[in-house]
Amino acid sequence: MVPIFREILIPILAVFTALILGAVLIEISGVSFIEAYRGLFEGMFGSRRALIETCVAATPYLLTGLAVAIGFQGGLFNIGAEGQFYMGALASVIVGYTVQGLPAWLHLPLALVVGAISGAVWGSIPGLLKARLGAHEVINTIMMNYIALKLVDYLVKNVFRDPAASMDRTPYILPTAQLPRMFGPDYRLHAGFLLALAAVVFTHWLLFKTTLGFEIRTVGANPGAARYAGMNVAGNIVLAMAMAGAMAGLAGVGEVLGLNHTLPAAFSAGYGFDAIAVALLAKSNPMGIIPSAFLWGGLRNGAGLMQVRTGISIDLISVIQALVIMFIAANQIVRWIYRIN
Amino acid sequence: MGKKLIKLIGLGLILLLVQGISQVNAANITKVGLVTDVGKINDGTFNESAYKGMMRAVQEFGLKSAFIETRQPTDYEKNIEQLISEGYEMIITVGFLVGDATKKMAQKYPNVKFAIVDFAYDPPVPNILGLIFAEDQAGFLAGSLAGLMTKSKIVGAVLGMEIPPVVRFRKGYEAGVKYVCPDCKVLAVYIDSFTDPARGKSAALSQIDEGADVIFGGGGTTGSGAILGAAQAGVWVIGVDQDEYMTTFKKGEAPGAKKLLSSAMKRVDNAVYGAVKAAVDGSFKGGTALFNAGNDGIGLAPFHEAETAIPDTVKAKLKEIADGLKAGKIKTGV
Repeated sequence: MVPIFREILIPILAVFTALILGAVLIEISGVSFIEAYRGLFEGMFGSRRALIETCVAATPYLLTGLAVAIGFQGGLFNIGAEGQFYMGALASVIVGYTVQGLPAWLHLPLALVVGAISGAVWGSIPGLLKARLGAHEVINTIMMNYIALKLVDYLVKNVFRDPAASMDRTPYILPTAQLPRMFGPDYRLHAGFLLALAAVVFTHWLLFKTTLGFEIRTVGANPGAARYAGMNVAGNIVLAMAMAGAMAGLAGVGEVLGLNHTLPAAFSAGYGFDAIAVALLAKSNPMGIIPSAFLWGGLRNGAGLMQVRTGISIDLISVIQALVIMFIAANQIVRWIYRIN
Repeated sequence: MGKKLIKLIGLGLILLLVQGISQVNAANITKVGLVTDVGKINDGTFNESAYKGMMRAVQEFGLKSAFIETRQPTDYEKNIEQLISEGYEMIITVGFLVGDATKKMAQKYPNVKFAIVDFAYDPPVPNILGLIFAEDQAGFLAGSLAGLMTKSKIVGAVLGMEIPPVVRFRKGYEAGVKYVCPDCKVLAVYIDSFTDPARGKSAALSQIDEGADVIFGGGGTTGSGAILGAAQAGVWVIGVDQDEYMTTFKKGEAPGAKKLLSSAMKRVDNAVYGAVKAAVDGSFKGGTALFNAGNDGIGLAPFHEAETAIPDTVKAKLKEIADGLKAGKIKTGV
């Protein structure tokens, strides 16, 4: 078989099998699965609006998926994308509404860069702890998530709250910091989508076409050999985590500058956690993140119409997603079902 | 002078006529959709209550209906728009937190009718009917019941997010306790989620450890978790929003059901039903509708299994307080 086809065969079959099992569950709950899936797929890409909304939902998954994939490539399990996402969002919203009087060509890049740096700093802390002290990054990224979530929650509710709002949220960012909408004000797709696609291509180039990327991957594959080859293992770990953090941070930035124009408290997006699934489905390949993020974003987006049409619980989508990941993780099952060796 | 007067009367008549015509032409709805706050339509409290109210109207008037359960606050607008793009002509949104999103969508789609639970707009939006409740009066009744039933003179309250309707519940509850039992102590805690039964339960149990022997749970499934846990720990509990004996305690099948004294009901169902009915018969108008003790918009649920355990003197006192609130003789001070 053609190698690329082999690579993507298992993920495709995993998705297919999960959808079949999902169909059985839908039938058991007393709803026609054809109706439900028609709603789901029409909600994903059945109309101009649906397709655009799927791109909107895929945008943060592209970036947080990259954040986890970069970690995997560097031999690091970055569970901290959620926290890095929040820190990026927080920094960009602060720059977005407090810095006044700048022209858009300066204000927007400033908010983007500050947000990305904020995520990078947050990501590099567990990287540094791992490189210097050998502290496991899984533990520390999870802990950094809690700190970020509660910190952002506190700050939004007490320090940066917009007193005029019905829910706890910051004031809206200034128009000069907004990422432009690509199809006019009626559609929510913003330039952050292009930025995310560019980030995917950039990451692919960096990891597979540069010396730096080679070093990061070597450190990930075999730190001993990397050290023996004269590579800076500690430095590469910190760098990989910082890059991952920057990507997750940018995801949060995009949601703020492009989509919501504000940061609400108790805004449990879950993009950072779902990102682990997105990266797994993509087998940590940056290019693979694109279809993977579109699938996740599409399912999340299509779930709404599925519920409108059939009244079925939106949680079903989470079940299907979980099944996909189980089949990826235990790909022996898929190989056995479809007789692939 | 006379001519002017005739002109004025004429103008007035024309205005009346135009208004009359526009009312006749007011498009009566056939499809109504509901967007929940973060939570589910079977949450046993306010999302469910609103859904039931909508469904009563849907069945009565033969409407088509749909709902979307919101998963995160940034999806409110998207969910509302999803229903509108499917041709839904009236949208019910549930909860104070959806206030901003509802207003934004109402302005974007001026021909769609909206009703929102727990939010009032000032100035009003012409196509949104805000359904608000005197939570302080409902809380006052719950507090009175708690204050009359406590032996330890310590009562607890586990509440959801600190937003105006929940704050009114708390203040009313505290005032109600003090009204019947001035030396009683009230332990109250806000939890920043409406969907976290485990945290609700642990908060209730720690209040019991502090000596509380009546717990009021007010805040989505967080509050339901609190009263379920507390009832199973053997103290009296009071529910919220709708009769939680029927929902949280599964008509008595859930353990602890005999410890449920009552629920501080907000008739969200009646309010939503009324809003949909108005949209069907063409009398829908934007603005605010207040539901309180005076129009039976709030009140205590039946005592169910606690009926015999509640002394007649307590029942008499509660009736007296309810009548006092109704007549405006008792003020909650909120």
